[in-house]
Amino acid sequence: MSGPAVVTFPISALGAEGRVLVQQLSRFTAANPGIKVVQRVTPDAADQKHQLYVQWLNAGASDPDVLQLDVIWTPEFAAAGWILPLDQFQPDTAAFFPSTITANRWGDSLYALPWFADVGMLYWRTDLMAAPPATFAELVQEAKRIRTRGGPQYGLVWQGARYEGLITTFVEYLGAHGGRILDGRRVVVNSDAGLRALTEMRDQIYRDEIVPPAVLTWQEEQTRFAFQNGQAAFMRNWPYPLPLMQDSSESRVAGKFAVAPMPAGPGGSHTAAIGGAQLAINRRTEHPEAAWAVIEYLTRPEQMRERARVVGQFPTRTAVYDDPDLASGLAIPPATVRRIIEYGVPRPVTPVYTQLSEILQIHLHRALTRQSTPEAALARAQLDMQRLLDRAGLGTGEPVASR
Amino acid sequence: MKPRNWWPALVLALLVLASAFPFYWAVLASFTPEARLFQEPSLLPSGLVLDHYRALFTVRSFWLPIRNSLIVAGATTLLCVSLGAFCAYALARLEFRGKTVLLGSILAVGMFPQISVVSPLYLVLRELRLINTYPGLVLPYLTFAMPLTVWLLVGFFRQLPGELEEAAMVDGAGRLRAFWEVIIPVALPGIATTAILTFVYSWNEFLFALSFTLGPERQTVPVAIALFRGQYQVPWGQILAAAVIATLPVTLLVLAFQRRIVQGLTAGAVKG
Amino acid sequence: MPRAELSGIEQQEARVAWGLVLPALLTILLVALFPLLWTVWESLHLHDLRMPWLGRPFIGLDNYVEALADPRFWGSLGHTAFFAMTSVAMELIIGLVLALALNRAFSGRGLVRASVLIPWAIPTVVSALLWRFMFEGQSGIVNALLVDAGILREPLVWLIHPAAAWVPVILADVWKHTPFVALLLLAGLQNIDASLYEAARIDGASAWRQFRHVTLPLLRPAILVALIFRTMDAFRVFDLIYALTGGGPGTSTEPIALYTFNALLQNLQFGYGSALSVIVFVITFCLALVYIKVLGAELTGTRR
Repeated sequence: MSGPAVVTFPISALGAEGRVLVQQLSRFTAANPGIKVVQRVTPDAADQKHQLYVQWLNAGASDPDVLQLDVIWTPEFAAAGWILPLDQFQPDTAAFFPSTITANRWGDSLYALPWFADVGMLYWRTDLMAAPPATFAELVQEAKRIRTRGGPQYGLVWQGARYEGLITTFVEYLGAHGGRILDGRRVVVNSDAGLRALTEMRDQIYRDEIVPPAVLTWQEEQTRFAFQNGQAAFMRNWPYPLPLMQDSSESRVAGKFAVAPMPAGPGGSHTAAIGGAQLAINRRTEHPEAAWAVIEYLTRPEQMRERARVVGQFPTRTAVYDDPDLASGLAIPPATVRRIIEYGVPRPVTPVYTQLSEILQIHLHRALTRQSTPEAALARAQLDMQRLLDRAGLGTGEPVASR
Repeated sequence: MKPRNWWPALVLALLVLASAFPFYWAVLASFTPEARLFQEPSLLPSGLVLDHYRALFTVRSFWLPIRNSLIVAGATTLLCVSLGAFCAYALARLEFRGKTVLLGSILAVGMFPQISVVSPLYLVLRELRLINTYPGLVLPYLTFAMPLTVWLLVGFFRQLPGELEEAAMVDGAGRLRAFWEVIIPVALPGIATTAILTFVYSWNEFLFALSFTLGPERQTVPVAIALFRGQYQVPWGQILAAAVIATLPVTLLVLAFQRRIVQGLTAGAVKG
Repeated sequence: MPRAELSGIEQQEARVAWGLVLPALLTILLVALFPLLWTVWESLHLHDLRMPWLGRPFIGLDNYVEALADPRFWGSLGHTAFFAMTSVAMELIIGLVLALALNRAFSGRGLVRASVLIPWAIPTVVSALLWRFMFEGQSGIVNALLVDAGILREPLVWLIHPAAAWVPVILADVWKHTPFVALLLLAGLQNIDASLYEAARIDGASAWRQFRHVTLPLLRPAILVALIFRTMDAFRVFDLIYALTGGGPGTSTEPIALYTFNALLQNLQFGYGSALSVIVFVITFCLALVYIKVLGAELTGTRR
């Protein structure tokens, strides 16, 4: 064979994250002269990137060879036969956090390798309290106490607009009360735990008044602005604000906050919704070996350490957290990060996740904006979601296609 | 002026105010630092910055959607006006059977909901590998722009005196030459108005552009603005700066040709 | 002229005419009519790009049955009708007042014309975002003004209330489209023979009676045209709500076009989405037929 194998790699990130990736890829090509990596620009927002991938893959395109997946897309792409099982390359799955691996399995195979982990965490103000609340009851109490003492106007802020972020918030409340969305082929969100979780979210807005109703239009950045302007005592968010809020020229809370696992509720445990990016291989690629070489290189411990240092992204390999270098790179103690990731819970692992999520978003949002009761919302959501699974042949009934 | 005629002036003053305020507010906000956007809004400008505009053309490459919009709207306009002019001439000034039905059907196509052809257009464009390309936008745009152009041009051609081409034809010119040498030059203002309106409609189109483009390379201005949010954020300052820029070309066209545009709009609707 | 010769010329003219019409006509057939038929065909299949393992089986009218049993479908239809009626009614009333005011001679007409045309000319998405920004969160300008004026006791988060979320939506639409209505009605007003008012004045009719018995009846055709254009347009509403509320809170402002778009391009359910498209088309078509009938009767009626 003549000439190098060409591997196309999609790149979307702006700023520091994009620069790190470009550097890592150029180091890779320097070390592997037989492989040439070509970059391809994709959109930044997740839903747009998803649509683009579906277009490409559905049309049977052989590039990009490597794909950057959101964690909730892996089962969809795997079931559609668009990405290659990675087992043939024998990845060392035991070295990664188990929850990040589970999210990337479909059937009996692993389809993508976790690149970096996003987890939902509780940001709390160290100048307003001595220790973070361990339960939602404590959090509500603490928030009320801070308010009566003339503290920030909001207690807790989270992502409550009608979009994927609402599901991640809900997953954490749900886990805190010991509930789940999906059990194999059955939707089980309409449970005692589900009801308590949704009622808790609603009560914190309208009864306890510690969560401002405005969060029902908020995504990540609005919550960050509220917290970094000192308007909120607590915030639920991903790791990305860590480096931004340490910058005292922008942030009024630099040096005055820390992170903890999201609180637990009665009957459940601390829960962190798992997000982050995964790397997978296009099934139509002409160079599977070369594509794997790129993935293997980018998920090495030293590359993960660099990403953590430069852009604050959490490594998915457990061993990296024992490395003292990491402590100096991350804004928060690696032990805390590790503890939070160990509470990680994937969102439902199913090929029809995006549609499942849309149904749940609508019904949760209806309940939270008081257009329906939590009971009615969950009952309706469960019904619609189960019907979707059944129609796709992934539920308990007969698949629709055979009718 | 009689004393009871004070009210039109009042109504119109209110109108100008109501029309202008959202623009005023957006322009003001587009020069306000992001951090101050939602803190104690004040109606008067203070501490203005160019940050959002700078970010728009450096980080965001906003010239890309502007280029795309100019190409797509420009090509659509050219195609529609050149093909539409012949069609409209025949419909306006020649006698043949089925003319009324034809005109009615063309108008009907122009009125039907865009959403009802999104699915097949998507599947066809995907099959032809035209998703996320310029032709992949211009072709769908013809569905609404072609009927619009024909309709407006028919209105303009009908207004011309009937003797025009008769005189030319008596001189021995054929129909086509009469059309080309006599009608076109006289109808130029009407054709220009039609072109402007077609351009404005194509520049503003959203649903097709949203459905048939992927990512920044081919997005038009309205789509780029609507999808400005990044992974986590809604950058209002940049959105409004982009909004101000997106309204500039249409605003200039409208200001320059307002009399004609009003004529074209009302002629097409009322006299049909 | 002898009959044979005349028909010869006519035939020749018809040939030229068809030659001229054909390119544009073929284009329209190709890009509009053919896809429409395809949509109907597609709507009879289960075709889900997200679930390629299901194939593309023919399922008859099942997609339609599913739509008619879907509360979200009926909800979106209701929202569309509500939006169309409310916004068009406001646009007609305000547009009429504006047209009457514009019809009086006064100075500064150019300024007024420009300021009504610009909202009409800017992209709908942009106007949606301008209004969203004014109503955004708790600290948008609208909240600030209303609280300062003592109308609201505390800021309202407009976009999370199923009823309040309609306020910016309808205001934005009225703001954008009233100019068009006003211009149509103004053109109608200018067609009214001034001598009619003269006669009415001589008979001693008050301004209100003149308006009621001269202006309004003669303006009827123009009002009907505006009504048709605006309702058909309002029924297709998409851009405005996509950029302003996204259909929320929940799905309480979701119009049928947005629901269809989501089925097609978010969920990639092409069969079901096509069925929704066909329903939208049929409704608009019926609406147009009714209007054309009414308008036709009206126009011939006034002529008599």
